[in-house]
Amino acid sequence: MSRDRTPDSHDFPTRRYDLVKEFVIALVVVTVLSLGLAAIFSSPDEKAITMSGWAKADPDNLVTTAASELAGTTTSATYGAPYNSAAEGQKLGPIPLQKLGGVRVPVDSADLVLGPLSNVSGDPKLSAALAHWKAATPEQQTRWATAYTDAIGTAAADGEPAAGAGGEVGKVAASGGYGPVPALSTALLGLAKAGGLEGALTSSGNFYGGDQTRSLLLLSDGAYLEDQAVAQNLGGDQWGMMNEVGNAPGQPWMWLYTFWYQVKPFSTSDNADAEVWGLMMLLTLLLMFVPFIPGLRSIPRWIPIHRLVWRSYDRTAQRR
Amino acid sequence: MSALSIVAEGPGKYIHWGVIQISVANAIIIAVMVLLFILALVVPFPTHDDQADEGHSR
Amino acid sequence: MTTRASELSPDATGPSELSPDPTGDPDSWTNRLRGWFEGLVPAGQALPDRQPVYVASWIYVFGVLTLTALVVVIASGVVLSLGGATWWHVSSVGHYVNSVHLWSVELFFGFMVIHLWGNFWMAAWRGRRAMTWITGIVLFLISIGTSFTGFLSQSNFSAQWIAAEGKDGINSIGAGAFFNVLNPAQMLLWHVVLLPLSVGLLTLLHIILVRRHGVVPPLDARLEN
Repeated sequence: MSRDRTPDSHDFPTRRYDLVKEFVIALVVVTVLSLGLAAIFSSPDEKAITMSGWAKADPDNLVTTAASELAGTTTSATYGAPYNSAAEGQKLGPIPLQKLGGVRVPVDSADLVLGPLSNVSGDPKLSAALAHWKAATPEQQTRWATAYTDAIGTAAADGEPAAGAGGEVGKVAASGGYGPVPALSTALLGLAKAGGLEGALTSSGNFYGGDQTRSLLLLSDGAYLEDQAVAQNLGGDQWGMMNEVGNAPGQPWMWLYTFWYQVKPFSTSDNADAEVWGLMMLLTLLLMFVPFIPGLRSIPRWIPIHRLVWRSYDRTAQRR
Repeated sequence: MSALSIVAEGPGKYIHWGVIQISVANAIIIAVMVLLFILALVVPFPTHDDQADEGHSR
Repeated sequence: MTTRASELSPDATGPSELSPDPTGDPDSWTNRLRGWFEGLVPAGQALPDRQPVYVASWIYVFGVLTLTALVVVIASGVVLSLGGATWWHVSSVGHYVNSVHLWSVELFFGFMVIHLWGNFWMAAWRGRRAMTWITGIVLFLISIGTSFTGFLSQSNFSAQWIAAEGKDGINSIGAGAFFNVLNPAQMLLWHVVLLPLSVGLLTLLHIILVRRHGVVPPLDARLEN
């Protein structure tokens, strides 16, 4: 910066200032504040949703989700990178950033249903259904699963009339070219109710299950997780990224990132995530390089809040 | 768990103001930050003026 | 046998034999490293007992408040790590330590942002202090990432939802291929090793830079001499 005529700080008159004392007092104050706030306000710890909880609270949704995984119509089945190649993914302008990352966490969504079920032994009906499924062509499999999800349909919502059986599995016509899909979906419901689904998804073939990718994808393909979150003001269109459950403070420093998702064009864009990330990266670069950006770096001169900070020094400097 | 776990229990309280929707907890934190910033600028900092000298630090 | 105190003191052999020889071998790697180390901050400026007269505002306190909040964050995190990832769900002591961890993080961010506001309005990047400003902004960003991975490591409903919701943003720029928010073991290791290490090292660099250049003089300050 050629116009920078800031003098050397070491050339100014000095005054006694005890940095270590300041640090120790600050440490005591912050420690007491943290211990006190923790004692008064605690912290939230709402138990994780279980597959069993989902199966019991909303069995129809779990069955529908299972059938949709087989039909290849869920969010994860149509996601694209990094899970599969089913979609191009989001773009920032012409740049397919999501695709460029590559499919490095491969997930076959139908396998979220078939994998756990193929480990079940001693259930001849399930074994027959699995054999029936495996013997069919991919086209036949998709026809069955789509016919079943269409038959289940959806409940009336947001002015849309109910479709199919209104989302109620129990009201689906007994026969309709679904193949083994009802048997497979219901078997997954049974496995989930019994509490065995998480383990089958996370640690199948691996004693140490440390990776929840598959179970979290299945859970978020259903409506139960999001319903619970929206009820707690955590939804993406509710400024949810800043929030925590109950009355706990969340991540208020995320306000700007969260804000963009609430307004157009981002709130209605298919590429909202990539666009908001791109915008935030640009704004972050601007903030980082404020010292070099003409105009931006002069704002503190134009709005002289600094006079408040240095008022006592300015007074003595004028006297000299 | 704390007997006074005000924060962890019960439904969250939220402020709705046009497009803005913020939890009371987050709003209080931001308000306290702004207040602290203003106080830091306005409240005089205790210095020992008698100790000020013309000595340079190097 | 009596021993004089001076024989036990570290400089008993006399300062000239232990202190670096200014005319020593300039090719010595040890001498070069020491020279670099000693040149990081001007002599006497690492922990000076005096500050320029213009350092007289409460706004200057928020840097050290941020630093001490970081100390409490790390200390409470270390206690949490003693019991392991799920200890705090089953122990009232663990839950309290988790609360201390959460609230010290809220304080840390609050102080850091006020510190940022203050330094913006003081235009504290003046006088070759741009790198101090930049390291501060990078620290803010890495801290956001650290807290995010912390929320993902809670192994409760919040962590499930934040993972399900947060994956789309990170996947949209291709980063999800390397940073899988649905994998809590990866997130926990980033949270307790990689990111705190980065915050710690960058904080050290930030403080060295602050001490090297000294506190930024007032805008329009002139020195007659």
